[in-house]
Amino acid sequence: MKSLIIAKKEILDLTRDRRTLMFMFGFPLLFMPLFFIGGMSYVKQAQEKAVEKNLKIVIYGGEYAPEINKAFSDISDITILNDINKDSIENYIQEELIDAAIYIDKNYQIAISNNKQAQLQLQFKGTDSFGVTQERISRIIKNVEKEIIKNRAKDLQLDINILTAFNFKILNVASEKEIIGKSAGGYLPYFLILLGFMGALYPALDLGAGEKERGTLETLLSSPASRLDIVIGKVIVVTLSALASSLSAIIGIFLSFKANPQIPTQMISLFDDIINVTTILTVFSLIIPICVFFASILLAISIYAKSFKEAQTISAPFQFLIIIPVLLTLLPGTELNAYTALVPILNVSLATKEVIAGSITTFYMIEVFLSLFAYAGLSIMWCVYSFNQEGTIFRN
Amino acid sequence: MIQVKNLSKEFKLSKQKRKEMGDEFKDVKIFKAVDNISFECSPGKIFGLIGPNGAGKTTTLRMIATMLKPTSGSISISGFDTMHNAQEVRKQIGFMTGQTALYDRLTPTEMVKYISDLHGIDHNTFEKRKNELFSSLDMTSFAERRIGQLSTGMKQKTSIVRTIIHDPPVMIFDEPTSGLDIMTSRAIMDLIRRCKEEGKTVIFSTHRMGEINQVCDDIAIIFGGKLFCNDPLEKFKAEMTKDNFEDEFIVRIEEA
Repeated sequence: MKSLIIAKKEILDLTRDRRTLMFMFGFPLLFMPLFFIGGMSYVKQAQEKAVEKNLKIVIYGGEYAPEINKAFSDISDITILNDINKDSIENYIQEELIDAAIYIDKNYQIAISNNKQAQLQLQFKGTDSFGVTQERISRIIKNVEKEIIKNRAKDLQLDINILTAFNFKILNVASEKEIIGKSAGGYLPYFLILLGFMGALYPALDLGAGEKERGTLETLLSSPASRLDIVIGKVIVVTLSALASSLSAIIGIFLSFKANPQIPTQMISLFDDIINVTTILTVFSLIIPICVFFASILLAISIYAKSFKEAQTISAPFQFLIIIPVLLTLLPGTELNAYTALVPILNVSLATKEVIAGSITTFYMIEVFLSLFAYAGLSIMWCVYSFNQEGTIFRN
Repeated sequence: MIQVKNLSKEFKLSKQKRKEMGDEFKDVKIFKAVDNISFECSPGKIFGLIGPNGAGKTTTLRMIATMLKPTSGSISISGFDTMHNAQEVRKQIGFMTGQTALYDRLTPTEMVKYISDLHGIDHNTFEKRKNELFSSLDMTSFAERRIGQLSTGMKQKTSIVRTIIHDPPVMIFDEPTSGLDIMTSRAIMDLIRRCKEEGKTVIFSTHRMGEINQVCDDIAIIFGGKLFCNDPLEKFKAEMTKDNFEDEFIVRIEEA
């Protein structure tokens, strides 16, 4: 009961603090739409720009391959430049004054006429947007090549199919939901966990080191509330703050998808299929114990610190520590198994991915939950232990 | 009633701490902050604990308030042992330090209600007591303003009400006037006198000798964790070899 009194007061106190509200709601609600709408529109614009860009190219030996020269000349958004010295072309490309150079061997016609391979070379700067330059030029070259092969087959009276041994059809049994879940699904826990941690960080520092610094801790310690009451009350509030932050992130993602006109309707209906109430509730049930874990650890650090500033310094490495398991989720080959289900943070990330993909098994789900509850319980015990340590609580 | 018997408190000193404390503590691994002290504070009397900074005053008061556990010895508050009935002891005490330890984002009403709720006081009793205290300290005009926006004096009044809202029989004041201006200090001294008039047991630590003379009935001098004098103020005055309290205090400390 006393822990609820403490929690109620802390909520009242924290919700009057603009910085906390900003971390809890403002940042995730603003960051997510900015990330999704802004990011996607930037990528789309950059891609369109790269595709529509007028390419400036130089063809060396174009006189040996008139069909290649013609293929490029016929394209309106490609300009062929002449009179560029071969020795300085690399510099021009490096400085992005010219997009690419094509080298045609002087024996091109002999090779083509004798059904041999002609030597061609493309020189370009591979740092351009999305590899569009290489793709556009290669496509034109491939078209010329296709025509040459067609003519060769005709001259040799061969069926063109002889050149392709297989009619290789690929059938993917994974549903679109599963594919999206396993690939893009890794990003959702990334945001939920990181924002959950950030949502817990400031309140935890304020409720521990902040209380010490302000001198209010003695008031609380001399009240009839036990150390356990104090820890539980504070952990409840920090956990709620972390959850509010994660929930705001989900709302932010949801709004970004709904309000972004650039997302195709098909994608939105797939999104609706993936992000339904059951998925959100399941993901949230995974997030709750990890938020308790964050809250307890951060509070223990916070109560150890002499000041708010010291608490910030001590907790800084933890921000990097939690990024590592979350990033592992994004790597191909990291799967939920009996071992990874026991690694805190990583297990939540992987389980969330599986939940979104709809491929989580009951066994792993139970294992993840059990390990999460164990970590949450242990972290609370550590926090209570820290609050009971005189050397910690009165450290100065 | 406060009964302190053979009370000691030891702290382990880390290497870092030993370095910070200087050469004198270079080889001291265990620091005895309070060394086998005994005294009694009676209801309706003010007990002054005098000593310079680092003498062991705060450690003693924190043990009385159950914030620290004694290494040895015992403390009884209104019949409750601090080691075995810590929660009951905390219900019996009001604890006040020199810092205005309040929550800036709460109002005085919310602050006092919080402490009252932690003490399990019912709503009607709280309202009655709050109204009495707020009007006697002239706090009604700022009762609903955020504490962060209040003056030092207003904060101190809030701190006073926070300390006594549950009407504790035992009051612990740890250098309550430290760093405060004359007006605010006076309000605190008035509170201490008022507590005595209400029959409460009061323990009051300070290093300001003038304050001792103003309010104390009994005094004890603590230095290096040891108690050197534990007498009624009148007896202490009668045995003084110097003209004023400050000089007498220094003489006693030097003798120790």
